[in-house]
Amino acid sequence: MASASRPAAADNASTVPAIAVDGLHKRYGAIEVLKGIDFRAHEGEVISILGASGSGKSTFLRCLNLLELPSAGRLQIFGEQVDLRQSGDALHIGNRRQVDRLRTQVAMVFQNFCLWSHMTVLENLMEAPIHVQRRGRGEVREEAEAMLRRVGLIDRAKAYPAQLSGGQQQRAAIARALVMKPRGLLFDEPTSALDPELVGEVLKVMRDLAAEGRTMLIVTHEMAFARDVSSRIVFLEQGRIKAEGLPLDLFRGGVNERFDQFISRFNQA
Amino acid sequence: MTSGMFELLGFGPQGWGLPLLKAAGVTIAAALCGFLLGSIFGIGGATLKLARPRALRLIGQAYTTVFRGVPEILVVYLFYFGGSVILTTLMNTGGFPGFYSLPSFVIGVLAIGIVSGAYQTEAYRSAYLRLDRGQIEAGTACGMSKLLLLRRIVAPQTLRFALPALGNIWQSALKETSLLSVIGLTELLRQAGTAAGSTRQPLLFYAIAAAVFLVIGRATGAGLNRMESHLAKPWRR
Amino acid sequence: MLDWPFLTDVLGQLLSGLPLTLQLAALSLSIGFALAVFVAGAAGSAFAPLRWAAKAHVELFRGTPLLLQIFLIYYGLGQIAPLRHSALWPFLREPYWCAILALALNTSAYTAEIIRGAIQAVPAHEIEAGRACGMSGLLLRRRIIWPIALRQGLAVYGSEAILMIKATSLASIITLTELTGIAHKLISSTYRIFEIFIVTGAIYLALTFLMSAAFALLERQLQAHHAHRRA
Ligand SMILES: Nc1ncnc2c1ncn2[C@@H]1O[C@H](COP(=O)(O)OP(=O)(O)OP(=O)(O)O)[C@@H](O)[C@H]1O
Ligand SMILES: [Mg+2]
Repeated sequence: MASASRPAAADNASTVPAIAVDGLHKRYGAIEVLKGIDFRAHEGEVISILGASGSGKSTFLRCLNLLELPSAGRLQIFGEQVDLRQSGDALHIGNRRQVDRLRTQVAMVFQNFCLWSHMTVLENLMEAPIHVQRRGRGEVREEAEAMLRRVGLIDRAKAYPAQLSGGQQQRAAIARALVMKPRGLLFDEPTSALDPELVGEVLKVMRDLAAEGRTMLIVTHEMAFARDVSSRIVFLEQGRIKAEGLPLDLFRGGVNERFDQFISRFNQA
Repeated sequence: MTSGMFELLGFGPQGWGLPLLKAAGVTIAAALCGFLLGSIFGIGGATLKLARPRALRLIGQAYTTVFRGVPEILVVYLFYFGGSVILTTLMNTGGFPGFYSLPSFVIGVLAIGIVSGAYQTEAYRSAYLRLDRGQIEAGTACGMSKLLLLRRIVAPQTLRFALPALGNIWQSALKETSLLSVIGLTELLRQAGTAAGSTRQPLLFYAIAAAVFLVIGRATGAGLNRMESHLAKPWRR
Repeated sequence: MLDWPFLTDVLGQLLSGLPLTLQLAALSLSIGFALAVFVAGAAGSAFAPLRWAAKAHVELFRGTPLLLQIFLIYYGLGQIAPLRHSALWPFLREPYWCAILALALNTSAYTAEIIRGAIQAVPAHEIEAGRACGMSGLLLRRRIIWPIALRQGLAVYGSEAILMIKATSLASIITLTELTGIAHKLISSTYRIFEIFIVTGAIYLALTFLMSAAFALLERQLQAHHAHRRA
């Protein structure tokens, strides 16, 4: 009953989770960055991933898109087990096709936007749908224009990334992710590279997406955003999930000592 | 004097105009083929130099060191004499006695190609190193395969970054064709020399050859500049 | 597999051409540098015809093949009657001096551009600082502009010098028996192109390696000098 206001799926173990991670480890040589992460994200959840610098947030997010290959563990995306094969003491991709397909399902938005600089904004949006998903040009173009309209960039469709402000570039990057019709969105500090006055326009787009019931995982240092928009907070420390829960509970304090310390240090800074 | 000069340079039976024009065509063809062959060597060389296995990197390094460090004329001799040695040996063992050699145009294209390729290796390699890793990662994150990434992101941007250096390398290739006169290719310099010898007007004919080289260099340079500024457009603010 | 006696024999014969190669490179580089200073000066002059002449010089010698320049001088100058009767003719008749003249003119064009680029790259604020100390004219150039430009242009000039070592090989085409000339003779008489290419190539590589090492050393010394000054 208490959970009536949360997305029902979050508490419903019978539905298939959007993302399921079991015993995820990531090592770089001798250092272990992720030390066994078990995690579930359900369809429609907006999860903020918080943690100090170096705690492994980016690494975790990148593992979900397989930009980083986990060293150990299991990964299930929208019910599909990712084919990772053991060889020696590392995992490697068993099925490239599957990975490329799943990557379009969990689209990634980067801190530095990473729009392709030799293409116009519109071309950036149409690239993956046409060449990876092999959808029809006409349909993709309509979809791309609709997305640009939605993030307020339709009048810059023909511009190149270098001609846009950071905020515009990040909105275009979000639109690029959306045109692939992904079932989940991964954001890695989407506003960290922006001038303060440009943060708002990007957060607004993300807020709208969250309100639509999109499945979103967001690594961020925007505490107000995390508190107000997310349905759940995951707190990482030294490669482990140290606290997890509703934003209201966690931010009220007293639930987790480490999280409270993190927040108070954050507020001082 | 003036009428005589017109006759000398005209396109009539006494004139050297047509042979010189043809020779200019040979110069351009040799430079173009050599440069294009050099692009293949250059992309291959850059791939070697950027490869992970140390052995491959060393091969790439050896290639650029040797062919950038040795005089071009020696490379021309290498292909001229080397080509005929190999060809003759092959033919003789195959039961065809006699002496064989490759056409001088082919030798020239090979020599220019391998030297130009060594310089192009550096152009492509440093252009590749300037690519934004984030943009490549963004492609991977969109599910692009290695090949698609190469075709749609890496290749166009690398070309863009390499183009200024490639322009200089093209100019060198164009001038290097003059070395092929020593192995008997009737390109501009050799044709000018023939005309100079039979008319006893070396000053005139070498000056004409120089002017033609300048014109070809200028015209192709202007074309490359336009292409460069076209490709650079997305990067301008 | 390798025929060592032959290789050492080739090496011995080739090395006899080394002094000529070095001479050609050293003379044309020094004459060329002196010329380049004039050309660069002319290019920056307030007198327009001088500027045009400098530009034409650079354009001509960078835009045409070196071998053509060599032929133009070696075969062409004799056509100019006054020159043929001048005191210079005993020199200009010689392939040796023709090669040096052509090489020097050629490198002077490239070097002039290097000098110009290096001087343009001197940061404006350093010049301002010099002026603020009351320097001007030659003093400003001698104490501020030229030393800074030297440091910036040195590396580029190093690669030009290496290119010139390679360029001396073209002197062989007008009969000079420097390294490449000897190599060509050996190849034509023995047809053992691969061995001879390897040995000759190795000598040139050694030369270019020594040259770049020398420039690196020079650069380091200038750097050290700079650091010492600053301390
Ligand atoms: N490619 C790599 N090789 C070696 N170590 C790495 C690599 N990538 C990340 N690390 C290390 O892994 C740890 C976690 O990095 P990660 O980028 O995931 O942290 P983060 O929580 O995202 O930090 P930030 O808030 O600064 O972005 C850091 O100590 C980092 O130095
Ligand atoms: Mg991070």
